Amino acid sequence: MGALSGFQALSRRRFFRVTLGVGVSVGAATGGLLAMRGGAPDVAGLRVLSAHAYRTLEALATALFPPGGPIPQGAAGMDLARAFDGFLADEPAHHRRDLSRALFWLEYGPVLYERRAKTFSRLRDDERLAHFDSWATSQSLLRRQVALAFRKFLSVVFYDRPEIWPHLGYDGPLFGDRSGK
Amino acid sequence: MSGAIVDLSRAPQGDLTVECCVVGSGAGGATAAWELTRAGHEVLVVEEGGDYTGFQLTGRDGAMYDQLYMERGGRATSDLAITILQGRVLGGGPVINAADVVPMPASVARHWQTKFGLADFSPEALAPFEAAALADLSANVPEEKQINANNAALREGAQQLGLRHEIMMHDRVGCIGTGTCLIGCPINSKRNTRFVAIPAALDAGARFFLRARVTRIEEAGAEVKKLTLRTLDAKGYREERTLTVRAKIVVLAANAVASAQLLLRSGVGNAHVGKNLMLQPQLPVTAFFDREIRFFRGIPQAAAVTEYERLDDPEHGFWGFRIEAIAGTPGIVASLLPKLGLPGKEVMSRYAHMAAALLLVPDGPNGVVRVDRAGNPLVDYAMPDEQKQRYRDAIKAAARVYFAAGARSVQVPYARPLLLTSERELDRVDAIGFEPATAPFLSAHQQGGIRFAPSPKDGGASPEGLVYGTRDVFVLDSSGFPSSASSHTMAPIMTVSRMLARRIAARKGG
Ligand SMILES: Cc1cc2nc3c(=O)[nH]c(=O)nc-3n(C[C@H](O)[C@H](O)[C@H](O)COP(=O)(O)OP(=O)(O)OC[C@H]3O[C@@H](n4cnc5c(N)ncnc54)[C@H](O)[C@@H]3O)c2cc1C
Ligand code: SF4
Repeated sequence: MGALSGFQALSRRRFFRVTLGVGVSVGAATGGLLAMRGGAPDVAGLRVLSAHAYRTLEALATALFPPGGPIPQGAAGMDLARAFDGFLADEPAHHRRDLSRALFWLEYGPVLYERRAKTFSRLRDDERLAHFDSWATSQSLLRRQVALAFRKFLSVVFYDRPEIWPHLGYDGPLFGDRSGK
Repeated sequence: MSGAIVDLSRAPQGDLTVECCVVGSGAGGATAAWELTRAGHEVLVVEEGGDYTGFQLTGRDGAMYDQLYMERGGRATSDLAITILQGRVLGGGPVINAADVVPMPASVARHWQTKFGLADFSPEALAPFEAAALADLSANVPEEKQINANNAALREGAQQLGLRHEIMMHDRVGCIGTGTCLIGCPINSKRNTRFVAIPAALDAGARFFLRARVTRIEEAGAEVKKLTLRTLDAKGYREERTLTVRAKIVVLAANAVASAQLLLRSGVGNAHVGKNLMLQPQLPVTAFFDREIRFFRGIPQAAAVTEYERLDDPEHGFWGFRIEAIAGTPGIVASLLPKLGLPGKEVMSRYAHMAAALLLVPDGPNGVVRVDRAGNPLVDYAMPDEQKQRYRDAIKAAARVYFAAGARSVQVPYARPLLLTSERELDRVDAIGFEPATAPFLSAHQQGGIRFAPSPKDGGASPEGLVYGTRDVFVLDSSGFPSSASSHTMAPIMTVSRMLARRIAARKGG
């Protein structure tokens, strides 16, 4: 319930912007931070997300839903970040801006909070999952909020895909839309 | 004036003057619109959602939350601790609710009389309106064959432990058990506002404007009020045009958050507006069985363990906690479970073996509605320690019930996942702190925000629903409730709305 819950409230927090601002300027002062994330990936047709933000979200999705285990499919290749981009495009402008910032913050999470020399999307899948878990259990309310909001969205879109359902023992809605859309 | 439903995203309208404008077409609004129209009033209902019935209800989470829920399913408290679920569709919350019909206990009505001075809310005064609400809802008890394995497991556990329990009444007629009630019924089996009060109001001449949001009320003390409407695009994402409606009577029934929001953004009403909000947050727990449960088929919510609820708490009226079965589609269930990565997949692979319950804990007036500069609602909610303790007690009680029914394990959805495998581990629940944004609390039964009180010193609206400081601006949804009316709010709202609407009609000589 509350499939997309949290994004609106998240983006309305006044200090959210401030905190991001602080984190980013501290990082920038140490120099070279932007270079650490590497060049932008080549993705066409995004409506809102920058190519960097897209990559961060894809990196998160593939860490949360790796291939294998009881459900063979992983998020890789499902383009869940594009689903988020589509969702975001219909959100008010301030949500779009703030959520893009949240992804920027997540990308630099390992640098800011673990003093690592790698940004989020450059970590291995298992490292990314562990890092994201540390946001979910963080002392910082803001980091917990970011974790909660993104994991809810990605869970809904991943498990709403019909190719996943047979592995859950779910046979889909009895009526209505059973397509892969 | 003949009744009509007009979608303003497709058929733009000019400014107009009506006798009565109702904001919101849900449990309170549709009932009031029907009552006022049949009493001879000219009624326009303004609804920001669209009209979704039958196979337009596709059974898919993403699309349906997007279209049927307020803020696309994303409304939450400012700290993200509690998701606030509210319908946004013609017919309002009843279109997407669990269809349970639980009337307001007589003891709660008496509590309102004695503690809050609402003398007119005696059980006897409410009785005929409650009877009408139950008749509108075709209230009936599900047949035994409609109780699926999920509900049966909860009931079985309660029976094993000798706990009081019940099968709740519902508003379904001809239900075939698709299990998607919370994203709308594809066969229109739920006999709610959309299929009873709205057609009746239309027959009596009411007009409904869809995809229109009331953003401001001005001249609230004058005989004729000015309402600003913003029309929305076909999906309800963006505001487009502006329209003015002038009305002598304004009925707010936009839901406990949105009614207060509208008054606050209009600068109408006294200092109590927005205060005393109750969210009745619910916490989901899941249990895993060796046997298949397939909770996603059949009626999602029918069985409730009522042993721990109190209907006559001297301080609070309805208090304690309840445990109610619930189900969800895969995406929603996954979004509430704590594990991710391969362990998360492991848990979801047992989806067909899961049972689930919501721990429903009635609350005090812990919430406040504010608005930001753009007029958007901000909901602050401070959960007291006493309430957190009731969640811990409820988790333990639910775990005992599930273990008694044969569950292998019980999962508590907390940021630090807690999987209980036997009663001996229940002490671990004591460590749960419920810090904001660590547990997926859900609110479906918001109440308060414009509390009814006999004096403007104590509330935002009179016991007749008149918003203090206004002339004929009434609030006929759960915003007025001074304490939790019941474990489920649809029937109480319909009861109170009809009673107060009839008084408005009588006052005007209708
Ligand atoms: C998921 C869920 C499950 C539930 N299950 C049950 C259950 O099983 N049994 C039960 O008794 N109760 C249940 N409830 C609660 C019940 O449905 C609600 O309490 C009830 O619908 C509230 O009635 P209302 O008239 O106050 O508002 P709503 O029914 O929410 O209707 C308000 C309407 O106003 C519209 N609106 C809001 N603001 C504006 C505006 N500014 N301009 C124009 N339109 C506006 C909204 O779009 C909405 O359609 C559930 C609720 C939810 C969300
Ligand atoms: S379970 Fe019954 S009422 Fe609910 S959506 Fe399915 S058919 Fe409709």
